[in-house]
Amino acid sequence: MLLKDVVCPYCACLCDDLDVTVEGNRVTGVDNACDLGAHKFQAGNRLPGPVRPTEKGWDRVSREEAIGFTVDMLLSADRPLIYGWSTTSVEAQSLGIHIAEEIGGVVDATTSVCHGPSILAIQEVGHPGCTLGQVKNRADVVIYWGCNPIEAHPRHLSRYTMYSDGFFLENAFKERTLIVADIRPTESANVADEFVHLKRGGDYAVLSALRAIVRGKTGSIPSHVAGVSRAQLLRIGEVCKNAKYGAFFFGMGLTQTVGKYKNIRNAIELVDELNRHTKWTLTPMRGHFNVYGFNEVCTWVTGYPYAVDFSRGMAFYNPGETTAVDILARKECDACLVVASDPAAHFPRAAVEHLAEIPVVQIDPVVNATTAFCDLQIPVAVTGIDAEGTAYRMDGVPIRAKKILDLGYPADSEILREVYQQIRDRKKVREVKPV
Amino acid sequence: MRFMLFSGRTIRQGNAVESKLSPEYRDATSVLSMTPFDMMEAGLDEGDAVLVSGPGGQVVLTVKADEHLPAGHVFLPYGPYANHLTPTETHATGMPDYKAIPVEVEPAEGKPVTVWELMRDLGGVPHAP
Repeated sequence: MLLKDVVCPYCACLCDDLDVTVEGNRVTGVDNACDLGAHKFQAGNRLPGPVRPTEKGWDRVSREEAIGFTVDMLLSADRPLIYGWSTTSVEAQSLGIHIAEEIGGVVDATTSVCHGPSILAIQEVGHPGCTLGQVKNRADVVIYWGCNPIEAHPRHLSRYTMYSDGFFLENAFKERTLIVADIRPTESANVADEFVHLKRGGDYAVLSALRAIVRGKTGSIPSHVAGVSRAQLLRIGEVCKNAKYGAFFFGMGLTQTVGKYKNIRNAIELVDELNRHTKWTLTPMRGHFNVYGFNEVCTWVTGYPYAVDFSRGMAFYNPGETTAVDILARKECDACLVVASDPAAHFPRAAVEHLAEIPVVQIDPVVNATTAFCDLQIPVAVTGIDAEGTAYRMDGVPIRAKKILDLGYPADSEILREVYQQIRDRKKVREVKPV
Repeated sequence: MRFMLFSGRTIRQGNAVESKLSPEYRDATSVLSMTPFDMMEAGLDEGDAVLVSGPGGQVVLTVKADEHLPAGHVFLPYGPYANHLTPTETHATGMPDYKAIPVEVEPAEGKPVTVWELMRDLGGVPHAP
């Protein structure tokens, strides 16, 4: 059976034009997807049911036992951490935030090690954003700064920028100007009209120089700024000012390097300067499928986008204190529920070490590095493959992902709803007991 | 020799990310890229093993040449090998320095351990079906 317009569950491009062939409840073909997306549809490695480690090995447990264990762990912890959320639906994310509120825990998402600094900058100076549709149809100058979409978001150029014709660009490849800024010539730099080869850690200085040029302060620019010549900076400044519509995309080359959110603040302020001349927008190249969805849901529910601590009986947000890496590094949490992510593979070693010292439950479809630290893992369906759900594209557009297979696994939201309900029921028992 | 390490995405790492216990994922995430000149200075050939020590810990990797890197810099794909070297300091942002890790690189024997062995080293219990 050929399924049309399937949403890709891999990255935050959320390409919604995939053709997927399903035969006998198995994906046998994927068309239109990039290599990353196609691999995700055909990945195996699923656990057959909930498992927990024992002295003899890993034993299967029933769904009821698994949910009971999770509820016990969360209710008996003094400082529970609930972390993950980037590859599941907003429905599941909403339940996770409500669970954290019920138990007075901390809820954080992969945002904190992805575009968390971008959010900190946006909170300081705002977000001149737009949809990717606007970029596709209007942008004649595109900047990719500190990101390598050919390797990380392989269809970004063909769906929205260089290789995608738009309403006002009949021959995009010829009519758009592509500028790539990075500390090394990546695959994306190879297709750029202009490659800005920065010295490592020089992003803030080069962005400042461009801001000065756009303001007309060209006399203050030295011969080189962080390895970039004055002539190239002046040329780029002119290209940006003369754009009909410019789109600035950036990745973790800005968020994870020296300066972190200050780099993004400077990029936003450059876009602000450019908007005095023409129209420019800025979009973070978010990585995981629904990492942005968590920020949206968490903001609706708590007022804050991630790293929310409910231990005071109210929502408290302080990245650097209430973010998962910091809490684990301080050995502060005494239980951890991991949903739809793999912190053991993506957190610094000293933060992972603490996971071995506390009870950990993971709700995730596959065996991953975090499985090694689990007291229990509950396998669930993959959102966008065997569970439906809503996810947010990198530009903030919500897209409904379809269920294309039925492999018998529950969705994360089903498991979390049961956990949430049992926590509420048990808390009610505790509340009435003294009476 | 001292270098500045930065980690990042690659298409090979991205393809194997759903099967982190596979040899493909290990091979995609445990290869340290260096400039040919830095390799020559360090007395290394393509495929040699190196012991890399950073603020987070130590890990054995294999080395490959990448002429596009800045001198004095090494690149390692995102994953548990890079994170064995990454410090937990987040400078009050929640974000570790994944792209600015000072490391020491020296020739070594052996080859990169598996992801399970890395996790066992941190106190984890590898899953066995």
